[in-house]
Amino acid sequence: MSSTPTNQTHDPLEHETVSVLAHQLRTSLSAMKWILKMFIDGDVGVLTPEQHGFIEKAYGANERMIALISEMLALSKVEGDGMALHKVETNIITLIDDALFDFTSESFKNGIEVIFLKPTERMPKLFVDPAKIRFVIQNFIENAIKYSNSGDRIVIAVEKKESMLEISFKDTGIGIPTNEQSKIFEKFYRAKNACAKEEIGTGLGLYTTKNIIERHGGSVRFESTEDKGTTFYFTIPQSAE
Amino acid sequence: MSKIIIVEDDTFLQGLASQKLSKEGFQVVAISDGNQAYETIVKEKPNLVLLDLMMPGVDGFQVLEKMNADSTVKGIPVIVFSNLSEDKDINRAKELGATEFMVKSNFTLDELVEKVKSVLK
Repeated sequence: MSSTPTNQTHDPLEHETVSVLAHQLRTSLSAMKWILKMFIDGDVGVLTPEQHGFIEKAYGANERMIALISEMLALSKVEGDGMALHKVETNIITLIDDALFDFTSESFKNGIEVIFLKPTERMPKLFVDPAKIRFVIQNFIENAIKYSNSGDRIVIAVEKKESMLEISFKDTGIGIPTNEQSKIFEKFYRAKNACAKEEIGTGLGLYTTKNIIERHGGSVRFESTEDKGTTFYFTIPQSAE
Repeated sequence: MSKIIIVEDDTFLQGLASQKLSKEGFQVVAISDGNQAYETIVKEKPNLVLLDLMMPGVDGFQVLEKMNADSTVKGIPVIVFSNLSEDKDINRAKELGATEFMVKSNFTLDELVEKVKSVLK
């Protein structure tokens, strides 16, 4: 196993600090979330409709803060080191399995089934930055869960395509409107139906994802029909060293 | 009645989670100190452990390590319930035998109860 950082601007302390701060913020926000939910559910007495409305608003605001902390953490990790790549030999199947473990509870909560169709043939090892490719995989899975509905299914597959390895994420969610498809990789852009379904988002996930894949010599594409679903594909060269 | 041990150093969060699980009919033993966690798990032999990671003194990873090394408690399912979410933390918990990893702020207590029930099935 070898490592080739492409530049040396990485400061591990910086992300570590963000991570500890996020932990502390989340602890306070967890307490608020659980208490506000007790009020909403009537566990601590009956509220007037007006009080209920205010508490619902406070709960929503708290949820937005929690979601923004998660986004901030993910972006701080990949952007904190100036996008330097720390490439090592990596097994893509293990990487997908590990990323999926993070979402077991999330998909369970949302009633969405996530299936990983593992290839029967042996896949070549890739020479990539595992943390960054994991971010890419997580971002695609997270989007698929966010923009799917309860009972929907997400299918992940890996396929050899000539000199490349192609990883796909197929969902049956809200899809991307045709007139917005050319813009979704733009920085800060979020499709209108995505904003309506999920108020929280920075519009940086797909932009960062595309950037990471292209820096690995691969490409990102998608096929989508509004209200039917989306399949995202990314490729990585099989021998990228 | 299933017995659950909650290891959580934040007494406020611990109180809320304990109250909820007790209301749902679980027998709950709450510990706020990682130092006591392993001994209590060995003594009580719970059906499930709800384990925080970041605690002063002995942290959740060390509790998992001790459980892993002891065949009498190794098989007890552990739901890690933490506000950490770094890949390295999730991977380490998984390698040490955690059944599930839940980020506290991302779940309501009702969702926690559902998860506990599904793990105990």
